[in-house]
Amino acid sequence: MSLLGSPQRGMNVSRYLKVAMVLAFLIATPWLWRDNRFITTIFISALMFGIWGVMYDLQIGYGGLINFGFAGFICAGAYGSALAAHHYEINPWYCLLIGAGVSGILGFLTGVVTLRLKGIFVGLATWFLAEVLRLTISNTPGYTRGMLGLAVKPLPDIFGLDYSRFELLPYYYLLLLMGIIIFAIASFMVHSKIGLSFKAIREDQLATETLGLSTTKYKLINFTTACFFTGLIGAFYAHYIGILTPDPTEFGVPRTVEVLTVAYVGGRGTLWGSILAAFLLIGFQEYFRELGAWRLVMYGALLISVMIYAPKGLSTFKKYIW
Amino acid sequence: MELSIFVQLLVLGLVRGSMYALMGVGLSLIFGIMEIVNFAHGELFMIGCYIMYFVVAMLGLPFPLGIVASGLGLLIVGIILEKGLISTLRKKAGREWLMDSFVLTIGLMVMFQNLALIIFGAVQRGIPNLVAGQLVIGDVVFIYDHLVILGLALLTVGLLWWFVKYTNMGKAIRATSQHSEAAQTLGIDISRMYSVAFGIGAALAGIAGALLITLFPANPNAGMAPVLKSFVVVILGGLGNIKGAIAAGILVGLLEAYAVFFLAGGWQNVIVFSIVIAVLVLKPEGLFAPAGERP
Repeated sequence: MSLLGSPQRGMNVSRYLKVAMVLAFLIATPWLWRDNRFITTIFISALMFGIWGVMYDLQIGYGGLINFGFAGFICAGAYGSALAAHHYEINPWYCLLIGAGVSGILGFLTGVVTLRLKGIFVGLATWFLAEVLRLTISNTPGYTRGMLGLAVKPLPDIFGLDYSRFELLPYYYLLLLMGIIIFAIASFMVHSKIGLSFKAIREDQLATETLGLSTTKYKLINFTTACFFTGLIGAFYAHYIGILTPDPTEFGVPRTVEVLTVAYVGGRGTLWGSILAAFLLIGFQEYFRELGAWRLVMYGALLISVMIYAPKGLSTFKKYIW
Repeated sequence: MELSIFVQLLVLGLVRGSMYALMGVGLSLIFGIMEIVNFAHGELFMIGCYIMYFVVAMLGLPFPLGIVASGLGLLIVGIILEKGLISTLRKKAGREWLMDSFVLTIGLMVMFQNLALIIFGAVQRGIPNLVAGQLVIGDVVFIYDHLVILGLALLTVGLLWWFVKYTNMGKAIRATSQHSEAAQTLGIDISRMYSVAFGIGAALAGIAGALLITLFPANPNAGMAPVLKSFVVVILGGLGNIKGAIAAGILVGLLEAYAVFFLAGGWQNVIVFSIVIAVLVLKPEGLFAPAGERP
């Protein structure tokens, strides 16, 4: 039953142990090096890309939907949250949800618009939608400050934790908490009936419809969920980074390509692969900063080799190591 | 609008349009025959720019040689890419081919862009003009460069048209695009046709890059804007539809030339992209598709 996976896969002891080890690593490492701001920033970017990769995987690996405008949804979440805090004096903690909501609604609408399209046409349509969003932001400097850059407030302190951006660890643990929740929801989803329907649609849309499953419904569920959480992390990104510009490297094709690489290198249809790939790729690229453009050459080469030699990405090696 | 301005914009629009058509035809040819959405098309354009710069500015040879060198160079690059990477993927990929090959070309794009950055640096390397001077008729100014670009672009598209329509290889390529298995049964070496088609598509991008060097100086990101425009063109014309790409290319070129008069710069792309989305959603087979065809 490799086609449908195994929905009844039990959580045996060794599985619990592995999850506990990963969590222990993610919780303890930045704490042990808490004096080293650099380590924390690497962990934050790796985890952000990891979660985005998981959402990308939910779309491409389970739903067969290629979202080539992924950065547009990050952008929607980031600007949604930042603008709500900037113009309407809303508490930034609620703004995180507003950003996620904006992105989720946009995802739902994108799903509606691209319902009739298949495969690569979904990719092209989402690509142009994201570009329209980005260009609109850069054309309305009166509201969004456009290319001048929008300064974003930090999150207010909560439960005695300092969110002034002076300390980065609180941001990291917030992200980790959101990541765990998002991963749990995604994981629950793909192992439930919904996930089976995603896979069925990916494998054969016509046959799935013949069996009486509504492809419309499941495509919309997929788009809305993935975009909602993408936007949530996008909103987090806005308050963490402090300044937003509608720049292509920030919210355009290069960003989408980065997330796509994370998801493909991790292995489509695994969810956890993206987290691993993000830590390896971001760790590598931060550690070898002096390599400059070579690391992007490596990204490209890696993507090509994954496509040709290891379509399942890093998850190919799971059985030898883990 | 005065007549002289109208004519002036018409020329500008046609020059742009012929370029978009040249890029779009290559992209559409590759899609029509191999079902690859080639995201690295802009980087092939960029390599064409660099070859042109090398031949004309560094070796000091006349510009037609540069254009020929770009075309031939990219033909070879295209064939190597097809033989080395794409055909390997084709043997392994199944129904996921469309997306897998798309992602492969994304990898190529990232690699080429950054290799160019490493080798040549972020410097703009342009050539001031191919042919100096201009022709003034009444109030209308014809820059010789623009006329050369327009003429050579039309010549290239014409040659391609003749090749695909009348030569044996062109017929074999068309047969492969219509029904690859039937073509194979009839003794056509389809894997060779794939290489040739990808090579020709790449060569068209290279020629476009060479011709446009006066407007788009060679630099690692030179391909970014043209690739976006050529996707606009092939979506409006219908993916895989060569005639559609020519028509849409000229249409977009003219629209842009005249739109400058009515719209602020930044909104122009928003409107063009919105039209593209509308076409994708409502008429994904393109504006110029024969009736009854749907992808």
